[in-house]
Amino acid sequence: MLSLKSDPKLFELAQRVAYFAKEKFSMTLPEMRFFILNPMEFAALLEKNVYPTSPINIWEGKKIANKKHRIESGQESALYYEVVQTGNPSYAYLNETNSALTQASVMAHVAGHCEFSELNVLHDSDMNRTEYVMHLVRKVDLGRHQMCERRYIDYWNACESALPFIAPNSQYNLENSIDRESTITASTTAPSGTPESNKRPFSLVDNTLDTLLKPSAAKPFVEMEKKRERHETLSRRGYSLRAPCQDILGFLRQYAPTSQAEHAILDYLYTAHMHQDFVVRTQIMNEGWAMYWEKKIMMELFAEDAVRGAIDYAKVFSGVCYPRPYYQRNPYHLGYHMWLHIEELYNEGKMSLDYYEETDLNTKQEWKKPAEKLNPHACMRHLVKSTTDYEFLRRFLTPELVEKFHLNRIDQRTAQKLGIKNEDIIKADRQWVWLRPEPIKNEMLGFFAHFYRPRIYLIDSDFMDGGLLLMHRDDGRNLRAEWIRPTLNNLNRIWKAPVYLLSKDKLYAASANGYKESTIKGVVTFEEVAERLSKQQKPFKAA
Amino acid sequence: MDADRITSDESEGFFNDFIEEQLNDLVEDIINEGDLDRTDASGSDLIVEMDDIEPPTLVYGDQKSGGGTGQGGGEPGDEKGKLKFEIPFERFMELVANKLRLPNLLKEGKGKIKEVSYHFKTFGPVGVLLDKKRTFKRALRSSISTGVYNPNEGRFDVEIRRKDRRYKVPQREETPKYKAVVFYMGDISYSTFGERLELEKRLLNFTHHWLDFNYGKNNVEHRFFVHDVEAYEVTPEQFYQVSNIGGTRASLVFDLISNIAFNEYDPATTNFYGFYVGDGELFGNDAKEIVEIIKEQLHPMFNRLALVEIQPSRMSCLNAEVTKAFASDRVIRTCELKGKKEIIKVIKQMFEARHA
Repeated sequence: MLSLKSDPKLFELAQRVAYFAKEKFSMTLPEMRFFILNPMEFAALLEKNVYPTSPINIWEGKKIANKKHRIESGQESALYYEVVQTGNPSYAYLNETNSALTQASVMAHVAGHCEFSELNVLHDSDMNRTEYVMHLVRKVDLGRHQMCERRYIDYWNACESALPFIAPNSQYNLENSIDRESTITASTTAPSGTPESNKRPFSLVDNTLDTLLKPSAAKPFVEMEKKRERHETLSRRGYSLRAPCQDILGFLRQYAPTSQAEHAILDYLYTAHMHQDFVVRTQIMNEGWAMYWEKKIMMELFAEDAVRGAIDYAKVFSGVCYPRPYYQRNPYHLGYHMWLHIEELYNEGKMSLDYYEETDLNTKQEWKKPAEKLNPHACMRHLVKSTTDYEFLRRFLTPELVEKFHLNRIDQRTAQKLGIKNEDIIKADRQWVWLRPEPIKNEMLGFFAHFYRPRIYLIDSDFMDGGLLLMHRDDGRNLRAEWIRPTLNNLNRIWKAPVYLLSKDKLYAASANGYKESTIKGVVTFEEVAERLSKQQKPFKAA
Repeated sequence: MDADRITSDESEGFFNDFIEEQLNDLVEDIINEGDLDRTDASGSDLIVEMDDIEPPTLVYGDQKSGGGTGQGGGEPGDEKGKLKFEIPFERFMELVANKLRLPNLLKEGKGKIKEVSYHFKTFGPVGVLLDKKRTFKRALRSSISTGVYNPNEGRFDVEIRRKDRRYKVPQREETPKYKAVVFYMGDISYSTFGERLELEKRLLNFTHHWLDFNYGKNNVEHRFFVHDVEAYEVTPEQFYQVSNIGGTRASLVFDLISNIAFNEYDPATTNFYGFYVGDGELFGNDAKEIVEIIKEQLHPMFNRLALVEIQPSRMSCLNAEVTKAFASDRVIRTCELKGKKEIIKVIKQMFEARHA
């Protein structure tokens, strides 16, 4: 790994990129640190979740062995377009085998990612992220020596099973699902809106006349009893569930009984992987934003002759922005063209109330009334600050754009394989078929509900006396049966008490006594569970 | 940042250690179960497959899990859902060799099989056993040269410095000791057509390669013979390519190897091994003649003589006759090979010290 300063030409290029990004385009950028890596270092970096170090583990070893084999046998290219770990400072890595033109485009692209991370509503950018993760790696290494090798491997492997259950940005994240002592205290001490003087003096004795005349009046004794119960629960465990929790690894990291070494592993795995949730929720906007600014900065670099090879760059750019069907959407292509479309909307004044209220079709089609004093880039940045991919697509993706971006275009062979019906096809030629564009937007939005993964929630942390009860939200598909047992065993190792899984009409249980499957009588829905939890009731009771 | 180089070497080593353990178990299984189907006749590398390892988690049942490869003792392969490894034939043989050795290798002579011994003949600056005499000699010499020891001036000190110390170091010595000749006899009559002949070749091929590996190439002399109604010697290449010819008369081949053993070698210093493979379907007095030849000529000379009936039928009578004559014998072994999965089991029976 070399510092960028070891290559004066690249260092100068980086300074030009930073100049255009900050001065010319007013981008909000953190400190960006560039390093030069050789191809194998690049491969290793990717397997370490784009951090320079990682604790020793078998899965990384497997992936790197596989990758080496693929690179050596020519099945995979060792060239990577861009790799960046955002945050403040951001760490970006350049492949030493790339040309100066590619390096410049990578740096410009990275600037786009860094700004997106800084601005986005999910607040992805945090201070010293890479440094913090490296600190956690050292803690895990220390923990490994404390735990001894065998137990370290077992615990790490158990945690790997819980890695997909990280959802810090879900509607059902820790913040929205868990009441902690601090949040309860804050809510109970918050002003109720009723002046203190107007409150009736507290009395333990219920007034019969009041009860008859004012049936809706709050009963202080009952209220106090409820509060006492909640406080008792909290003082015993320090938290209570008020909604299903999808961030299961986050929960285990905070509340599972762990030794220091075990906690270090959970802490590292959660911290190193939690940003993937941001990536998956903003990939289209993020990559599009990076491509958009990359092109703008590259045009400036070409104009001042800082780099050469505009035609080569155009070829690479069009290759990266190649359209794909909606189910394999290419975020670079879709995001870039969406941002171009939005810029056009602002430039032509189509993001205005007048435009929406215009009823004449001809006037609307020929609308070109750019608003004065409106800076399209500032408006686009406002979108970055306020939306994620779901809202972005919901608001701006129209059936016309679906067609324009070829999201509804599938090659003939795939269409046959997928068994697409004739009524869904609007046109076809020898190579392609075009599907009806209207349902495609909904299909694409559906992805953000499940990300093609089963939705697993924690619904009770005191099930059958201390057990952890998970629920698979039924979406008509079954879980992979042979993996349920080892997964629950692994979670049991972390929770150190029985772990249960509710999936359709089956209840699976893993504990120190063994594994058990049973069929339940009354199937509960996710909505019922959520409602019961909001009422502080047990979400599910085993017969 | 304190890391100068980004590397996954440690994790890769961790993974390779894990795979190494798995491979040893796998090879152990292959040896125990005797499934040699994964090696081909030319003694090429062994390809083993194991299920891909993935951390289990809750995924959809209809979701395909990603494939993977790895690197253990051999080169990683690339089949979806499987980890595929090539174990070099030598390494596989090494594992087999730990389990099987030539039995009764007793007659000493000037053969190519060497006896390995260790003698403390050399002396080095590092070691465990200090050679006091040599150390003192060196120390005295250097003390004289540095003037520490000078009787003329009344200085009698001897300074033993670290570099004066001499240790005894064991040296490996290989003494040519044993001579071994192995006779492979194959039945190529029409009745062994097809799978039987394939099994014959497979069994003898494996034995041939294993002995070569275990005692060094060319240290054991291999001689190949085939018979139908006649018996003749062939080269190993011809043996592995031969196809079925005619009728069956097996006693001729036993007679032939008996003559060769007696006339071409010194029976007092040569260890003889004979492996006969055939279907055992003999006619007339053939089996009885074989018993006679073994009793009178081969048994006194040979360290081991094994007769293997390949997929024996109701007409197979060779083993029955031989077992009747040599029950619980120290030299003679009779075995049955019913399928390719039994090859290792049969080899164990052929070589083991006591009768199975």
